[in-house]
Amino acid sequence: MDGRTRVAGIARALIPSAISGEGDAADAHSPHPPSPAVASHGARREGRGVRFAGRSPAWKPTDEDARLTDTAASPALRFPVRTHALGNGMRIVHHEDRSAPLVAVHLMYRVGSRDERPGRTGLAHLLEHLMFEGSLHAPKGQFDDLLERVGGTNNGSTWLDRTNYYETVPSNALELPLWLERERMAFFLPVLDAEMLEVQRGVVVNERRQSYEARPYGMADQRLHEMLFAGGHPYAWPTIGYMPDLEAITLDDARGFYQTYYTPGNAVLVLAGDVGADDAFALAERYFGDLPPGPPLPPPALPADPAPPADVRHELMHDDVSFPRVYTAWAVPGYGTREWVALDVLAYLLSDGDSSRLQRALVREGRIAQDVDAYLYPTALSGVFGVVSTARSAVAPQALEVAVRRVLDEVASDGVSDDELLGAVRRARRDQVGELATVEERAEALAYAATVLGEPEALERVLDLYATVTAEEVRRAAEEWLGAHRSATLVVVPRPGTEEVADAA
Amino acid sequence: MPPESAPAVLPRPRLGPPPAPRVPAPARYALANGLRVVAAPRAGVPQVVLRLVLPAGSVFEPREHPGTASLVSHLLTEGTDATSADALHARLDLLGAAVHPNVGHDFAELEMVLLSETLAEGVALLAEIVARPAFPEDQTERIRAESLDALVARLDEPSNVADDRALVEAFGAHPYAIPSFGTAEGIAAVPREALAAFHAARYRPEGAFLVAAGDFDPAELAAALEQGFAGWTGAPDALTRPPDPARPANAGQLALHPWPDAEQSEIRLIGRGMARRDPDWIRASVANFVLGGSTITGRLGANLREDKGWTYGVRSAFSAGVQPSGWLAETAVDAEVTADAVGEMVREMRRLMDEPVPEAELRRAKDAMMLSLPRMFETPGGVAARLSTLEAYDLPRDWWERFPAAIEAVTAAEVQRIAREHFDPDGVVRVVVGKMEE
Repeated sequence: MDGRTRVAGIARALIPSAISGEGDAADAHSPHPPSPAVASHGARREGRGVRFAGRSPAWKPTDEDARLTDTAASPALRFPVRTHALGNGMRIVHHEDRSAPLVAVHLMYRVGSRDERPGRTGLAHLLEHLMFEGSLHAPKGQFDDLLERVGGTNNGSTWLDRTNYYETVPSNALELPLWLERERMAFFLPVLDAEMLEVQRGVVVNERRQSYEARPYGMADQRLHEMLFAGGHPYAWPTIGYMPDLEAITLDDARGFYQTYYTPGNAVLVLAGDVGADDAFALAERYFGDLPPGPPLPPPALPADPAPPADVRHELMHDDVSFPRVYTAWAVPGYGTREWVALDVLAYLLSDGDSSRLQRALVREGRIAQDVDAYLYPTALSGVFGVVSTARSAVAPQALEVAVRRVLDEVASDGVSDDELLGAVRRARRDQVGELATVEERAEALAYAATVLGEPEALERVLDLYATVTAEEVRRAAEEWLGAHRSATLVVVPRPGTEEVADAA
Repeated sequence: MPPESAPAVLPRPRLGPPPAPRVPAPARYALANGLRVVAAPRAGVPQVVLRLVLPAGSVFEPREHPGTASLVSHLLTEGTDATSADALHARLDLLGAAVHPNVGHDFAELEMVLLSETLAEGVALLAEIVARPAFPEDQTERIRAESLDALVARLDEPSNVADDRALVEAFGAHPYAIPSFGTAEGIAAVPREALAAFHAARYRPEGAFLVAAGDFDPAELAAALEQGFAGWTGAPDALTRPPDPARPANAGQLALHPWPDAEQSEIRLIGRGMARRDPDWIRASVANFVLGGSTITGRLGANLREDKGWTYGVRSAFSAGVQPSGWLAETAVDAEVTADAVGEMVREMRRLMDEPVPEAELRRAKDAMMLSLPRMFETPGGVAARLSTLEAYDLPRDWWERFPAAIEAVTAAEVQRIAREHFDPDGVVRVVVGKMEE
């Protein structure tokens, strides 16, 4: 969710004891959210953009002072990979880590909501749901059942640029997810029928209600993207899809989308963890080598970068909420560019940590906001930089807009200090390290780099950029990309007549 | 291009025996001040997770001021007797450290995530904020005001309203009925002195423990802990716990909270669970797994989501607690099918009471639970969580080693007994926030 919440555990009151994330027999199996979509998964984790991170050899500091003053003292994060291409064009990536007896299988297709057409938004995600409903030799119910029996987990997600399917299993069971993925890559269409479509349409409609429509501020991101990517850019519509489009999707739509995009040549398969490269490539050949390449894909339409608007985009939205919330977003360079990394460091410098600029200006010292968060999407055609903040009681949202603008202007005009930069880079690294602690997350990061940057090795290059970003580059990023004239701002306010009843105090 | 022939049908692979689970064997020791330490180093990602757990949950706070425990934990990083709040945050942020307070009903936890290269500085800061918070007035009032706003905001969500109501229905007069973050009345009224007093009484090294997991040098950690926590001494005040929660007063009944224009209804079926130390815990976990422990393949998910398409997800779980806490099944469904969904959930609960679980289904649940063990210890955070559980609930140290065998021993008759004791629809309250026509 957006921003951060001050009161411990306030989001979920119903966990009677304190040992958080305990996840033993009772709940280790349940948090698995059912086939999620869009921003709930993959887009924003804990209110930030997806962070990619890595593994490094054990490292012992030798110079006490160097640690506090020099990011170069932190060793580069390394992900050794080997790659291989099958005859049908499918790309295979291997990453070995024997520290736990687990293997992550990650299959990513270069197709997302940006490949949909107006009138059929939500198709990529609905098809993702259908893909879990069985195949010719693994009928409905078997997919989850077989994987659970071996102690595995699985999920899938759809986002703007890509759709992924992934499983993590004890290493003895590696062939099972490969067989299941082969099944739905080769034998899915024969089982796709109207009843299956109707049930999953119902699930997705409920997902849209639960995660967007019925959630406070849940429709803000959709409108913000429409404003930011006006003029036919495919990032304009939400991955979950518009309700009338969800109702309109036909079996033929699903078949056509599958036939076009779910081909070996449009896929990257990552095997990460407790498996050797030779075994990984031999298994990939066995389970996918004989699949036909499928029709060649039309080259993706690359839309022009969203043009800076002639006038400032600014809108008001009413919602059943108690406090105003201000969203501002900018279209910025895409994931993996040097500018994107500078902007990511800037996001940390602005809002991660209580000493960060926006936390101080809006929350700790300004005391006009309950929370503030700066985030950056790692999207391919264009990155999305956003700042979200929720007003304190009796504070007008305009005050938040002004304060955010002032902080960004100060960065652009006066720059940032070396300590601010060092802390921000370290905090980014802390999250990178933490978010790639599992083979599943590492497999996803490698698959994403291969899918949108062309090769898995690009992940290390992106991570290495953090150590070389300068204070001047961070300043320039704010100046060049985060100007008022390039922004879209959406202010969500309580529906008239339902303003905050009282401050409960 | 030649016509493509259909790919060959490959047989479903036969799998070899599962790998032996590797459960970390942590070092356990105590500091001179009595703080217990559980240290599980493992080379890997350069990250260290430190979890300090104290018997300072909300059940110990003054009944007139619910929210005391939570406020105290959030004020730890807002200034000490030696360092101002701003200076403290500047130091934490320069290190790249993250500190997360988390207060439940039984325990208060402080988790610190560090880069390995900053371990010594991080431990020193952790010790300072735990042992020497100053509760400065300015920061106390700010956190109090932010918390009050957050409490108002969370009631915008029907799911939170449903959670709150479920707690009240399940636990009645027991403090588990009040959210562990407190109430607006309590947070607004608690004096600053009471926060300091709660800290002085509950935040003591004896009775607390610290778990460390990740990539660190054990000797470096031990030295840093001994040095950092040296001035912190004493034991928490002895307090008696309230009697265990009784059977829900409104068991078998519907508690409807109307939500105008809701397109979905939030459903909570809540009943009596068991203490985490209860000898039935594993049996109950298996029984629950069959019913709703797995969102999609559990009986509830297979019915409501996969068969009917009424919901995005449904699950059930026993909650861990020092005292017997709750068992809960929860979902959000199409408003039009609210009554039908409650009816189907009740039917599934009854079916598990009335008919022994088929052997194949039980086998599947056991395998899924046993074989997930490697994933539970994959990350430093996971290791810290699992080891914290053992310390917090005083479970046998070889609990995780024995976990597979304990699961294997569960019988269909035991699952049925658990179902009768805990999943009986006449023993649970049906909380609905939304629309429901009978």
